[in-house]
Amino acid sequence: MKRLIGPQSVLRLPSARIAIVVLLGIAVLTAFGSTLAPQNPLTINANALFQGPGAHHLLGTDYLGRDVLSRLMAGTRLSVLTALEAVGIGLVLGTGPGIATVFLGRWFDFAANRVTDALMTLPYIFFAVAVTAALGNGLVQAMVPVGILLAPFFFRITRAATLEHARAQYVEAAELMGASKLHVVRVHVLRKVLPTIAVTTASMTAAALLAVSFLTFLGIGVQPPAPTWGGVLSSDLDYLAQAPWAPFIPGALIAVTVGALNALADAFRDRRGAGTLAAQPGPIIRTHSTLEPADDDRQSQVA
Amino acid sequence: MSVVSIPPSAGATPPRRTPAGRIAPGRAGRPGTPPRRRRSRIVAARLGGGLAVLVPIVLISSFITYSLGALSNSDPAATILGQDAATPAAVARLNRTLGLNHPLIVQYWNWLTQAVHGNLGRSYFTQIPVAQSIAQRLPVDLSIAVLAVILAAVIGGSAGTIAAIRRGGWFDRGVTVVCSAASTLPAFVVGIILVVLFAVTAHLLPANGYVGPSTSIAQWLAHIILPSLALSLAVSADIARQLRTSLVEVLEQNYIVGARVRGLPYRRILVRHALRNAAGPALTILGNDFPLMLAGAVAAEAVFSLPGLGQLLLQSAQTRDIPVVQGLLLVVSCFVIVVNLIVNTTLNWLYRSDDGIGT
Repeated sequence: MKRLIGPQSVLRLPSARIAIVVLLGIAVLTAFGSTLAPQNPLTINANALFQGPGAHHLLGTDYLGRDVLSRLMAGTRLSVLTALEAVGIGLVLGTGPGIATVFLGRWFDFAANRVTDALMTLPYIFFAVAVTAALGNGLVQAMVPVGILLAPFFFRITRAATLEHARAQYVEAAELMGASKLHVVRVHVLRKVLPTIAVTTASMTAAALLAVSFLTFLGIGVQPPAPTWGGVLSSDLDYLAQAPWAPFIPGALIAVTVGALNALADAFRDRRGAGTLAAQPGPIIRTHSTLEPADDDRQSQVA
Repeated sequence: MSVVSIPPSAGATPPRRTPAGRIAPGRAGRPGTPPRRRRSRIVAARLGGGLAVLVPIVLISSFITYSLGALSNSDPAATILGQDAATPAAVARLNRTLGLNHPLIVQYWNWLTQAVHGNLGRSYFTQIPVAQSIAQRLPVDLSIAVLAVILAAVIGGSAGTIAAIRRGGWFDRGVTVVCSAASTLPAFVVGIILVVLFAVTAHLLPANGYVGPSTSIAQWLAHIILPSLALSLAVSADIARQLRTSLVEVLEQNYIVGARVRGLPYRRILVRHALRNAAGPALTILGNDFPLMLAGAVAAEAVFSLPGLGQLLLQSAQTRDIPVVQGLLLVVSCFVIVVNLIVNTTLNWLYRSDDGIGT
């Protein structure tokens, strides 16, 4: 059988290639941003306030004469890592129950779905700020609630995908041959659900990056001199009269990164049809044909 | 901020109405159609069922909200009394007055029953009732959010419709490009760009502040139009994209061809036959994006320095004023629940079948 995911086929799309190049750049900045920065992001220079982009300061300087390029480069690590922290929390909290709910019975399913519904009524920014009020101000504390609020999205998508795969004929065949639930989950379900989870992870990372830049924009979780993407934006906002072009630089950086993640997710989705069986290669035959409804079959299995 | 708005699991988007029901609705005496009284009872039962599902959701989300206070591990009585007066006896007495000596679940229940009666407690610091300070600031966010919803529906709706009618044309391609760009821009960045364009550079509109509608309607609009526009952009993009997709699909259906063959005016076909059947997914998006709108309202408040809920939230988070934070979270999540209920009811009504029940 053909492999389910073909990275090569995704890479044929130009949008995906550009996205990967952008994301690699961001990854390099995350790892070595503060080392690569041309100047110290904290050095104050009273002789060079509000300078436009030029030879000495490639992206200009801010209200204290600090080099904007260096600040953005040094701020990448905190922004990206905390975004990944939130996505990791969401991934763990969401996919586990999402797969389990199909196998653990109706009560667990009902409870998990209600908790999901409840979490989805909490707007992330209110929840995140409220948690920092309770637990103290810090970016790590602020991103834990964001991760918790990302979990419902992972949960729903995983659950839907698992439901589709768990009813395939080969799963039934495996069960008849005496395969344990764990084996079915590991071999037949998890492997097929992974691409869907990957697509969701990409778009959720984009959401988490937006959340982190917004939180740092509001001043949640960062001590003032430390550079972050949102922090650069918020200090630019106070001096719009002097430097109206300044906010466009961090704004563009955030937009390009988020856009790259979305483009990558879209490319995978278009290739694979996330969460749908129709777009997948390989012989997938549904157990329940149009001849009889799904519930009858479950009873016959029990009998 | 469209990235978060993944279409929910299957079943949330209603199945399309069959065109047959739309074309021949007038035959009330048909066998199988329930009489009007029974029909309304069915609708009421359905709505009641919908409300019953909400009960656990409200309970869970409010419990999460309340337990934040317990998590905080702060000592409110000591905070209120100040360092000098906080003798152990005084702290214990105040804890009794505040009801903080009970177990968490009892405290939660007392808080919730009080909240149902409109009493959200008092701020630890200012002693102002929480409900009062929320009620004071709610109109600001409500004006922004409502105007943003209207703008998103108008801008996104018309852009999506025109793009679908002239698919493949320059307008269609333009809308696609603009939508992709718009959905990567967070509301606060859009807000800043709008401030730069309209307030700092062009001096057309005020850059910040808020004027109530009772003072001057024109001033009120001038102050909220930029925040609302910033907020609505990403949602408009979502709506335009979704509406275009579903409208293109609907316009290719046989019953549209049939209606055209029968010589109905195109405008009427578009509005009554096509848009009505294509609007469902876009409406669902509007409902799903509402929590994001509230989050965006906080962004708009920060950019345009409006005295709204977000500012209250940030202030009370800084001082760790837990009752205010809890009250805000409860009010906001109730808002989201109500909006979702309205959207679902609208969808049911829009896709009702002949017997008066949603499909």
